[in-house]
Amino acid sequence: MSRVEIITPEGLRVDGRRPLELRRVLTRTGVLSQADGSAYIEQGNTKCLAAVYGPREPVKRAGVLHDRANINVEYNVASFSSGERKQKLRRDRRLLEISSMIKQTFETVIITTTFPRSEIDIYLQILQIDGGAVHAAINVATLALIDAGIPMTDYVCACSAGFVNDQPLLDLNYLEESADVPTLTVALLPKSGKITMLGLESRLHVDKLEPVITLAADGCMQMKDTLDEAIRTSTRKLAKTVLN
Amino acid sequence: MAGGEGSTGPGSEAMDMTPQDRPSATGFSLDPETFKKIHPMEYHRRFLSQGVRADGRVLTKFRKAKISLGSISTANGSAMVRLGDTTVICGVKAEVTEPKPAAPKSGFIVPNLDLPPLCSPNYRAGPPPELAQTVSEYIDQVIKSCDLVDPETLCIEPGHAVWVLYVDVICLNHGGNVMDAALIALVAALKHTLLPKATFYESESTVRVTEERTVPLMVKQTLIPVTFGVFDGTITLADPTSDEEPHLSTQLTLILDGIGGNDAYGMLKPGGTVINRSALLDMWELAKIRAINVSEALEEAFNAANAI
Repeated sequence: MSRVEIITPEGLRVDGRRPLELRRVLTRTGVLSQADGSAYIEQGNTKCLAAVYGPREPVKRAGVLHDRANINVEYNVASFSSGERKQKLRRDRRLLEISSMIKQTFETVIITTTFPRSEIDIYLQILQIDGGAVHAAINVATLALIDAGIPMTDYVCACSAGFVNDQPLLDLNYLEESADVPTLTVALLPKSGKITMLGLESRLHVDKLEPVITLAADGCMQMKDTLDEAIRTSTRKLAKTVLN
Repeated sequence: MAGGEGSTGPGSEAMDMTPQDRPSATGFSLDPETFKKIHPMEYHRRFLSQGVRADGRVLTKFRKAKISLGSISTANGSAMVRLGDTTVICGVKAEVTEPKPAAPKSGFIVPNLDLPPLCSPNYRAGPPPELAQTVSEYIDQVIKSCDLVDPETLCIEPGHAVWVLYVDVICLNHGGNVMDAALIALVAALKHTLLPKATFYESESTVRVTEERTVPLMVKQTLIPVTFGVFDGTITLADPTSDEEPHLSTQLTLILDGIGGNDAYGMLKPGGTVINRSALLDMWELAKIRAINVSEALEEAFNAANAI
């Protein structure tokens, strides 16, 4: 696909959005009965499920940290989730890289010192991919952690942004990601506005970096409102059942 | 499960007791959750002696199968099945491959059940648990032997190109009886599968497929699995939950067709205690009714999917 088609002359994108528009976000918390906390998110056609177990006793001795909880993240992609089926490797490096990125992102916000010698497991399952799987995974992990009642200093909100034809784009879908649009994924802490994770894997002119980061950060703040609303709704429901 | 919860053991009772479960003057009492963890067998036994189970069902009542189709648009066919808390999702992905020289017209179906650590607190990251591997293998054998899909209908060009269907079942929430949920999801997803039109070009020896998926897959049977658990060697429990499963003395899975016929497509009792034949026949009668109920649920799901 050529670059021209990413934005039509009328200023619309392939899925009908305007350049600075997020995709429809649908969230739900407390979807799994077995997990201590769970959440589901749909960002456009990207669907991701998260389960949080813990804080619990680590099975392996090696996982014990004496002053804080150990955080494990497993990021899994269903083989039927993308257009092309990917042969799943036992230890896919790409998945490991994303897992470790998400782990480090959450290590900064979870108050791990409250639970020494224990383990918090975050399991992420991507069910369908239409671009932005990583930022959907981070958003849903935030929801699941809050659902599990794990103390955190802040939300972690993630969003992606790209740049094409002198025009920054927010929240890229699969077609845009695969059409050589430079994609920058940002995760930030909305209270302070500080950035915890930044990922760019293609060429972007340094002069454009500032507008793209600003746009992605703006997207993150919008995500924060969505996530916050989801948490408030589920907490209201919970409060109702407790009070009755 | 119970062993991991050392802090609730009888020894430490004095330390972490809430006022309501402090021993009363009449004797020692525990709240039900604690009792369940310390004496799981006895916990279930007390329910069963009253003819009811911990989740409120009577012994031979199955959980209702809730089926929804087509929720994954990237897959050729997909189905989500819920049995109570148990949730599985199945996606079918079709690819073109070369047939084996011995069977030039036969395509392949590759089923796989994944039990990720996401689905249960008992699974941790690492190699797939034994249950996932044994169930995958059993499902593979059953769908091959009962000719669920005629492999020759997956042929594109004899000797050159056939379809391979990767049928991946992922358990999202392990609430017991994953076998039933997985096989129902697999059958539903295959029945909902649409393949693109594929044409083989002799000159370039390549296959081109159309963008749209239009060709429905021919699924010959509706296989309905029905699982029973046996508690204390004598009590038959239909459709066991994850609370009951670790304490069962044996399990038995019957695989029937969905029309309540008399054919069994598979039976699996992986060891455990003995059961007598009359119990087996009772299970068989229950299974027939269950099979009809599940195939009605499937029918409903297809009507709902077609209505959209």
